[in-house]
Amino acid sequence: MINAFLVFNGQGQPRLTKFYTQLDTSIQQRLISEIFTLVSNRPPGFCNFLPLPPLLAPPPSSNSSVQEQQDVPSLVTYRNYATLYFIVISTATESPLALIDLIQVYVEALDRLFENVCELDLIFNFETLHATLGEMVVGGVVIETNTERIVAGVKAQGTVAKRPVNEGRGAAGGGLGAGLGAGLGMGGNFVWHGR
Amino acid sequence: MVGHDMSWASFHVLEVMASQKYHQKRVGYLGAVQSFRPDTDVLMMATNLLKKDLAASTPTIISLPIAALPHIITPSLSISLLGDLLPRLSHSQPAIRKKTVVTLYRLALVYPEALRAAWPKIKERLMDVNEDASVTAAIVNVVCELGWRRPHDFLPLAPRFFELLVDGGNNWMAIKLIKLFATLTPLEPRLVRKLLPPLTNLIRTTRAMSLLYECINGIIQGGILGEGEDFSAREEVASLCVSKLRGMVSLNSDPNLKYVALLAFNRIVVTHPFLVAQQEDVILECIDSEDITIRIKALDLVQGMVSSDNLVSIVSRLMRQLKASSAALNQQGNGAESHDLETDSSDETSAGSKRLFKTQDALPPLPDDYTTDVIGRILRMCSQNNYANLVDFDWYIDVLTQLVRIAPVPRTRDLDSDITAPTARVGVDISERIGNELRNVAVKVRAIRPVAVRAAELVISRLSSEISSSRPVVPGALKPIAYVVGEYAFELYSPDDALRHLLGLVSRIENPEVLATCLQAILKLFASVAGDDQTPWTPERKSALSLLMARVIHVLEPFASHPNLEVQERAVEFIELLKLTAEAAAGQLPSTDELQKDAPLLLTQAIPSLFTGWELNSVAAGTQHNVPIPEGLDLDEPIHPNLNNLLAQADSLMLPAQGDDEFEVYYNRKLPPTSISSGPAIERLADAPDEIPGSYQQVGEESYLDADIIARRKAERMERNRDDPFYIGGSTRSGGTSTPIHNILQKENGPDLDIDSIPIMQLDLEKLSVSSASAAPAATTAERRPKPRQQQQQRIIVAADETLSGVSSRPVTPRNYDSENNSDSFAKAKAARKLKQSLLQVDSSHLNNLSLLDTGDRPDDEQQRREEAEMAQAMREVQRLRLEMQRANERIQVAQGVPAEGIVVKKKKKTVKKAKGEEDNGEEGVGVKVKKKKKKVVAGEGEGEGSSQADAAPVVKAKKKKPKRIVQLDGDDAAAGQSQ
Repeated sequence: MINAFLVFNGQGQPRLTKFYTQLDTSIQQRLISEIFTLVSNRPPGFCNFLPLPPLLAPPPSSNSSVQEQQDVPSLVTYRNYATLYFIVISTATESPLALIDLIQVYVEALDRLFENVCELDLIFNFETLHATLGEMVVGGVVIETNTERIVAGVKAQGTVAKRPVNEGRGAAGGGLGAGLGAGLGMGGNFVWHGR
Repeated sequence: MVGHDMSWASFHVLEVMASQKYHQKRVGYLGAVQSFRPDTDVLMMATNLLKKDLAASTPTIISLPIAALPHIITPSLSISLLGDLLPRLSHSQPAIRKKTVVTLYRLALVYPEALRAAWPKIKERLMDVNEDASVTAAIVNVVCELGWRRPHDFLPLAPRFFELLVDGGNNWMAIKLIKLFATLTPLEPRLVRKLLPPLTNLIRTTRAMSLLYECINGIIQGGILGEGEDFSAREEVASLCVSKLRGMVSLNSDPNLKYVALLAFNRIVVTHPFLVAQQEDVILECIDSEDITIRIKALDLVQGMVSSDNLVSIVSRLMRQLKASSAALNQQGNGAESHDLETDSSDETSAGSKRLFKTQDALPPLPDDYTTDVIGRILRMCSQNNYANLVDFDWYIDVLTQLVRIAPVPRTRDLDSDITAPTARVGVDISERIGNELRNVAVKVRAIRPVAVRAAELVISRLSSEISSSRPVVPGALKPIAYVVGEYAFELYSPDDALRHLLGLVSRIENPEVLATCLQAILKLFASVAGDDQTPWTPERKSALSLLMARVIHVLEPFASHPNLEVQERAVEFIELLKLTAEAAAGQLPSTDELQKDAPLLLTQAIPSLFTGWELNSVAAGTQHNVPIPEGLDLDEPIHPNLNNLLAQADSLMLPAQGDDEFEVYYNRKLPPTSISSGPAIERLADAPDEIPGSYQQVGEESYLDADIIARRKAERMERNRDDPFYIGGSTRSGGTSTPIHNILQKENGPDLDIDSIPIMQLDLEKLSVSSASAAPAATTAERRPKPRQQQQQRIIVAADETLSGVSSRPVTPRNYDSENNSDSFAKAKAARKLKQSLLQVDSSHLNNLSLLDTGDRPDDEQQRREEAEMAQAMREVQRLRLEMQRANERIQVAQGVPAEGIVVKKKKKTVKKAKGEEDNGEEGVGVKVKKKKKKVVAGEGEGEGSSQADAAPVVKAKKKKPKRIVQLDGDDAAAGQSQ
């Protein structure tokens, strides 16, 4: 199953943290910073799997049974889109390559919802970010991988604010958003076309 | 919320959750998901809200609590919400259904009973061919999570899964199904034959790399590669898989594919090493990959496939990497292989410039963690199975000397952490592990010992030159290396130089453990330098030796007040011993031309004899734990009922004695030389070698006493201490301090317990490694497996003395062992607990205890069904009896019976419905019958009976109660029943 789904930017500021088990905030922060150190040191050509961060690394002397190992997070998958890193921490029951695809699906869905998504969209519409993830993963189990259905599911929950952001925060958000406008560079940097 | 604490807002979150507006509600739920924990107290207040929202009419509202529940679920919450959640499984919207399935799974993780209730419905959904594909996929995902916990329960569903796999067309689901099948096939071998065609078909046809990989992975994990009757097919599959994997690994492909292919190889190598060995070339390429993640995986793999043939090439490859990264010298042909002693010494000159290059090197330097890891792996690969793969020990020693240089400098550690956590430190300090390897080779492989000792000498000289200039931290390797140098001083090229280097190093060492070992080594070296009784006692030698002694004393002096007791004790002992010797040497006149004089015996005999006991052999790990505790020895019992008092007394006695002027006077005043060289003392000293036990510590403990006193006391105690448990290892009469323990033991055990006769050696053999297990039990040395070339005469000494474990300076007493063991097990338990609560881990172990999942044939279910059937039967009896009574009533009061009947019938209907929901059919039948009866009551009884019977019959038949009924019916009815 999936243990955590994280999104943070190139400076290590979290944009979305979803832990499917509850952790103390301080440990969450430590984990994020550990993963960020691992991720930020990786050049683009490297594979999308990280060694386990120290916090998650199993105690060296543990000779636990295979069964217990199945329960322990053992895989950290990441993808980098423009300024953002998407990280999935999962157990051995998930397929590593499928997780890469899952992140891809997530980003595609966001792109569909926001139309050329960029980091600012995610900052000002974190609810949509969560809702989209909620349509794909519930309680650590993947429930939907079809972009159409995900988008439909999110839209059913209410309108998705688009740039320029509506209502009150329209002025500030809109200006910045239009200025950035770079998007996450969808399509350009797909390393992986397996699905 | 995004990594910030918001527990203070819990109540406000709850308020927002309860809002009437959907948008606010949504935000509230989001806050709850992000911030609530199972122990959040407002959660209890949320139960009703969750119930309400679960029952809401709008699907978007329903899905809010469903999606939130996995994050906040507690057992009590599960119990109260299960009833509300179950109906949502049959909600009209597939989105709700699939979320509910997953939420029920999470519920079951904390409250396993939930699954028992939910499974029939989930199974129904799964079997339903018309179910929405995404719901099926979600169920498959959940089953895959459950599958590895309780594979037996899902075997009956295999046909359905197979169907989904073949016709599903959904790659995501197929991946999960294959994973599920991989856990099922070990239980049901017949599945293999069924699975092979579709899997090979998928491998050949699929365009999705992830599915292809999972097919291969499933084949590996499901044990489909394993040997079996259908050999050719398996062979084909195996070669297909391996060739695909090879394609993934090969150079130009995607790094992700490389990584996962290496993962797969890692799984294959356990069962089919030969298949992987064929791919050695591509795998070795991966070791040189830029990507460290891939490298580490490749290393894992390489470790599994190492053999005596490829060891050298693999290690050379790694060494090259390490060297390049430590930005060392220009690439040297075959890495460490060509790196012999001569070039080493020339390297020393360029050591300083080496460091400068490091920063400018083109390749990014490898992280220390990785370097440490690689070194650890090299050591492990080489030393595997007691050096089974190693052919050329000379080469290995060169590698080790090289590694000592490459090893990353451990972070500076403060002394406290060293003392409190020695075991943790061992894991960290890779340098010490390298040193240990060098020492192991020196101890175990006699033939190569001279080479190893030279190497150690070299390392020390190099260290001393480096440390003085640049490096402030002494690597941990010094400890075992100092031991080698000291123990095998006779093999040294130049003991004088080694002693000089070591003396130079000692003052810079911080780690007390290393220091203690070095002090010991210094004295050993001194003994070998000075203790030569062949060389004549010339004036030159006399002055040289007194200078040397003065220098050693000068170096040791500061350690006499070292905070670490071990260091302090040794320093004090050695200082006093050397002072004595210095006096003796000063008193002994040098030999002149006419008068031949001998060197003082204290110098040539006593000190060397301290260190020339038996050869120390390596003791198998854990051997110490096999020393049986003598019967009646209760380690938890206080040594002496009044031990504290005794100790206090001893202190009060000792302290004045130590500060006593007498002692100072004794040491400082120049003694008449005759006191040393007098006849009787010398005689005793000459005998000493016989009595020297195989332990340095025991001698050392007493070395602050005068030599003659030692000898006398030893002789006295020899007899007394022969059954002292602390000295079980030595078969000689070993000396020891007179302890209360000894007396207690003697009292407790009586004279007939002979601890010396405890069969230590036999026990030892059980624990030994393979090579020694085949050795003759009597011998402590084992002939090494025959090796090609000149290695044949090499012997590895594996077994040995119990009380000494290699260089360990701590005497291992039963007491120690006991406490160690306790703390060990405690630590283990703690580790196990910790592992269970590992970060992010969702503990699904509860599910293991859920003895009966789902599937139709479970015993409890059967029982339940039987009970239900019995209940239904009883109900029917009651019904029938009532009907009889009614009919009787009808016969009697044909006219006015109608209203009364109506009431009765209604009542009946209600009870039935309540008791058994399933029996709608039967009940309807009854209802119809009764209604009909009502209508026909006036028309004619017989006919009415007949038709009503006809209506009820199918139901009754289904329940198989015909015979009983017949018995209980009266004549008319029986006839009617039979006529059906």
